[in-house]
Amino acid sequence: MTDLEDLWDDLPVGPAPTREILRAARAQARPRRSRRRLVRPLSSVAALAAIGGAFVVGTYVAQPPDGSGPTATPPDADRADGAEPAAFHGELVAAESCDALLDHYVERGVELVGPYGWASPYYGWSELTMTRGAFAVRDAAQNVSGAKLAPAPVSQRAESSGTGTNVQERNVDEPDVVKTDGERLFRVDGSTLTTYDVTGPETEQESELDLGDLEDSEILLAGDTVVAIGNDGTRDKQAYGYDAASPMTRVLSIDVSDPAAPEVTETVDFDSSLVTARQHGDTIRLVTAAGLPDLDFVHPGNARKNGLTWKEALRRNEQLVRETTISDWLPTGSVDGGTDERLAECEDVAVPKDDLGLDTMSVVGFDAADPTRWDVTALAADTSIAYASEDHLYLASSAGWGSCIDWCDAVPLGDDSGTTHVFDFELTTTGTSYVGAGEVDGMVQDRWAMDEYAGILRLAVSPTERTGNFNSVVTMRAEGDDLVEVGRLDKLGVNEDIQSVRWFDGVAILVTFRQMDPLYTVDLTDPGSPTLMGELKIPGFSEYLHPVGPRRMIGIGQGPTGDRGGWGAQAGLFKVTDLTHPRRLDTVSYAHGTQARAGTDPRQFTWLPAERTALTVVAKGWRGRTGWVSVLSLDDGTMTNRMVEAEYGVEIDDLRLVPLPDGRVVMVTGDGAEFFDLQ
Amino acid sequence: MDHEAEFAAYADDNWGTLVRSAVFLGCSLADAEDVAQTTLVKCYQAWARVSAADNRDAYVYRMLINCLRDTHRRQWWRERATERVPDRSVRDETAAVDTTDAVHRALGKLSKVNRDVVVLRYFAHLTEAQTAEVLGVPPGTVKSRLSRALAQLSADRHLADVSEGSGHD
Repeated sequence: MTDLEDLWDDLPVGPAPTREILRAARAQARPRRSRRRLVRPLSSVAALAAIGGAFVVGTYVAQPPDGSGPTATPPDADRADGAEPAAFHGELVAAESCDALLDHYVERGVELVGPYGWASPYYGWSELTMTRGAFAVRDAAQNVSGAKLAPAPVSQRAESSGTGTNVQERNVDEPDVVKTDGERLFRVDGSTLTTYDVTGPETEQESELDLGDLEDSEILLAGDTVVAIGNDGTRDKQAYGYDAASPMTRVLSIDVSDPAAPEVTETVDFDSSLVTARQHGDTIRLVTAAGLPDLDFVHPGNARKNGLTWKEALRRNEQLVRETTISDWLPTGSVDGGTDERLAECEDVAVPKDDLGLDTMSVVGFDAADPTRWDVTALAADTSIAYASEDHLYLASSAGWGSCIDWCDAVPLGDDSGTTHVFDFELTTTGTSYVGAGEVDGMVQDRWAMDEYAGILRLAVSPTERTGNFNSVVTMRAEGDDLVEVGRLDKLGVNEDIQSVRWFDGVAILVTFRQMDPLYTVDLTDPGSPTLMGELKIPGFSEYLHPVGPRRMIGIGQGPTGDRGGWGAQAGLFKVTDLTHPRRLDTVSYAHGTQARAGTDPRQFTWLPAERTALTVVAKGWRGRTGWVSVLSLDDGTMTNRMVEAEYGVEIDDLRLVPLPDGRVVMVTGDGAEFFDLQ
Repeated sequence: MDHEAEFAAYADDNWGTLVRSAVFLGCSLADAEDVAQTTLVKCYQAWARVSAADNRDAYVYRMLINCLRDTHRRQWWRERATERVPDRSVRDETAAVDTTDAVHRALGKLSKVNRDVVVLRYFAHLTEAQTAEVLGVPPGTVKSRLSRALAQLSADRHLADVSEGSGHD
């Protein structure tokens, strides 16, 4: 032990940067707002009770502040596709009553609360911080004809969405800080929305709009409406001071029909954290988590000053939880600062039979042009992984971090740690229809590890205490109430961690890593028996895979830099013509100490098919950072690189290279938007 | 500015231990300094609550551990990338890197919980009760985990190599 003690003393720690700390603390000081969940006035409660249909997910119209709006419409009104959405069944049971639902929450709440308040781990945080490079590519012909072609085990090209964002699923758009329709480019930076005209030889700023109290914002674009999604700056009072996700979500609908004079038409506030958002055509869906109520918890104090003991504080906090009412738990939304409306009534909240943690997820769907009319699916569980394909939305519980395997193993978060539970919802116009639920031993890391093709759900599963020490690809299909396992391939990456996954109609490419980077190709043409096609071992690993066609794929990640034996960012060009023998044709090694940003955020990768060029952001440094755009030009078997210094510091994370339909590229930095010279 | 003076004294006194604890818990030196700084900033913002707490150190170390876990979640891919390779990109002072590497190799054999207990109890000098609070486990668990961890460390031959390599003749 004395050796470790020597090492402790040997660590060259300087003096405390106390002045810096105080300066930073003062700069971050922000008035705390405590949100109280308002109970809706009695008259509207009666109106909603009149809907009936206890098991049906309905449409709620929020009351505008002057109370003159229409009362809630009957649930069938918006079913454009004709079918009645299925009720909850099987694994999900609609709550019998508000009392029963409250019991559900209180029982778990009492177990979870500690002497300082909620002992739960970090929840409700954005999935963007844990992205992996996994994408799904659809054969374009399949979409046009509607019929599913027989999948072939080939790689397919991935492209940006119509609004210029590098997304997971074709035809499913995702929010980003920049959106374009080819003529106008919209950029949001916190509370400022800037509009540029990108039709001319130079970009031209047309307007700048102050969006008021809005932070952490990203936008979606639907026709002449920009929908901005963020929060009003509120932070969770219960967190131990660190940067938790905001416990609320703010949605602004902005009319940009006149780009020189954009206008905020509606502001909608939800008292839940944003998990993610997706856009299908003109329908926008938010997946939110209500989190835990903000109670006046006590904490242990100084015993000498008659403060509470650890046990006394715990008992007091447990009592506070027992005294909560259902309004403390049910998520609400409000329009333009009006009254809080419950997103779902008690009998519309689905409760899983298995214990899946303490939270309430709400999937809130609305037409981009009218964010005040919501179609809500509510689930009393912690299923913070959300994946949307073109027709389905899957919510999955997190078997890994959520169960605190490493850091807080004393916190009970449900009995099924180590197992992932998945709920399958079919998408209707603005709502969802519950299909069924399934479970798989192991951990689905995030939405990149999931993919749906032709009704088959494919999962890349990482090890947990319930599995062997390897990764697997598992296929599932809905049968009756359940998602049943149809096939699996085990023993991928024994003792290794999945770094990235790429899904195609008939094939999956998986990268794992421990010391070497094995890249596995898996044949998925027969969902009943996924088979290993080929394997490639190379030093370094790819965190993000981007296929550029049936023959070539680019991998962005980390690797040895060759000089000084250090590590840095790395880009690889792979030949995938023969998936039984994937090969690496060329490598670009960046300086040591660099990070390839696309590995953390695939939106910082842009593929330009016409130029056969990829643009990807590379950063160097840990506190102070420099960011470059790496221009990777592909020539049959080689890849050449040119670096363009572009940005510094935190703004590197918001650097975007936006492709326009005319082939030009706009580079958006902290300073604005300019055309990027590809030569 | 009593509040500020009180906090400043606390920060000055505990900075070194917080940074070293973070290194022992798995960070590189630069990351440890970042985490310690973030923790102290949050600590200042919540100073009323922190200073009133009977177990102020437990409160602060709990914040440190939460902050570490949060950082690890956001950057776990980066941690994986560097955990087997010396992280020379951050510091050119090879001495710091060698020491950090030695620490991580030495403590790497322990399970995470055992390592947490050793660092908090043995190196950061928290009491058994404080360590129990920080980790959310009963004090009995702290005792048993600590003895297991210490037994593992003393049996570890690797430490002998480490001491030979760190400049001791």
